[in-house]
Amino acid sequence: MLLYEWAALPECYAVRLLAAILEVPLTLRHVDYYPAHEHESDAFLTLNPLGTLPVLDTGETILLDWLGALTYLAARHDPERRWLPLEHTDRMASLLEWLSVARALSESAGAARLHDSIGQEADIAGCRAKAHALLRHLERHLWFGERAGCSWLLQNEHPTIADLAVFVNVILCEEGGVERLDYPAVRRWTDRVKQIPGFVVTSGVFPAATLEVKQGPGA
Amino acid sequence: MREGWYPIAACDDLPAAHIYQTQLCDEPLAVWRAADGHVNVWQDRCPHRGVRFSIGTVHANELRCRYHAWRFGSGSGACTFVPAHPDRKPADAIRATAYPSVERAGLVWTRLAGDQAAPPVLLPSTVPMRAMPVNRAEDAVVAAISAAEMPGVHLFVQPVSAGRTVIRGLAEDAALLGEHDDALERLRRTLESA
Repeated sequence: MLLYEWAALPECYAVRLLAAILEVPLTLRHVDYYPAHEHESDAFLTLNPLGTLPVLDTGETILLDWLGALTYLAARHDPERRWLPLEHTDRMASLLEWLSVARALSESAGAARLHDSIGQEADIAGCRAKAHALLRHLERHLWFGERAGCSWLLQNEHPTIADLAVFVNVILCEEGGVERLDYPAVRRWTDRVKQIPGFVVTSGVFPAATLEVKQGPGA
Repeated sequence: MREGWYPIAACDDLPAAHIYQTQLCDEPLAVWRAADGHVNVWQDRCPHRGVRFSIGTVHANELRCRYHAWRFGSGSGACTFVPAHPDRKPADAIRATAYPSVERAGLVWTRLAGDQAAPPVLLPSTVPMRAMPVNRAEDAVVAAISAAEMPGVHLFVQPVSAGRTVIRGLAEDAALLGEHDDALERLRRTLESA
């Protein structure tokens, strides 16, 4: 499978992350989003008239949206249906709600980050305020979830694609001036996501502490 | 720096190997529970190059800075190991700035200055409520919670910075945590829209 991507975009990271967890090999095709604006070139717009990244070429179809790509990977490459609980109507409804939150985070926290890092135009105060409103919603949901014994966004023993889709813009949001200081349950949840087997990092994301530290002298 | 004890976290905020991040009176804090159970309240700043401790990692009874992997011991905050000089004992002066901590009624309390003993929290059995950060100054928040009628809850404030305050509460009935949270959300909306 071929992924057209610009590595610094959280939405591209989300697809690489799920592919890594599901052990699906991806061939990466770098699209120079910045500074070359290759996503606005005729060649790219012929592939994706929306001009958005990433694009996943599955060999059978071309998926133009990152949430579509996550859905495809989980539906095709997770036979146990852990990442996409298709048999559970209520959980699927909840999953779609969280994918909407993921997209809203991309358009707020993500846009603020692109504003601060590559000077992309944005209503920066509005983006940050919207991001904080979404983070407050996420914080409340996760805090009460912890009390109910639930570690993930859905009432599911296993994380789903919703956790990864929301995670990617949350874990990079401080690069857009959106602090996570007020969201302790969100910070605990990001620690849990980092401990998912197969988790990979990207620029700006630190791994969890899983490696044993060699003892110093006298310790 | 301001004297007196303030609640800065719930005991539940500190699962194993997690570094909780907060702020009290402009002082950023990294809070973590060591494997031996001790709760460390440290200035969120490595004394080496100033990187936030809260992006570091916990290994049993030590916190390891993300930048150069210097390690600091629970309790004293003394540097225990510098990877670039594995055979040298770190100088005693290299320490995290550690503040005192006590756990009372399910909350973690600290003080930045002064030498008062931690006050007892004399309450019937309670459970900590969800912390409610408010983008308003301490005095406005204190006035609002004094005026609010919330039976069955005991509220405290954590001054964060000039315009930010966290409301922390203890509820007498765990079954009412959701309702109490709704009430604090309404209080926050009122305060922030004023």
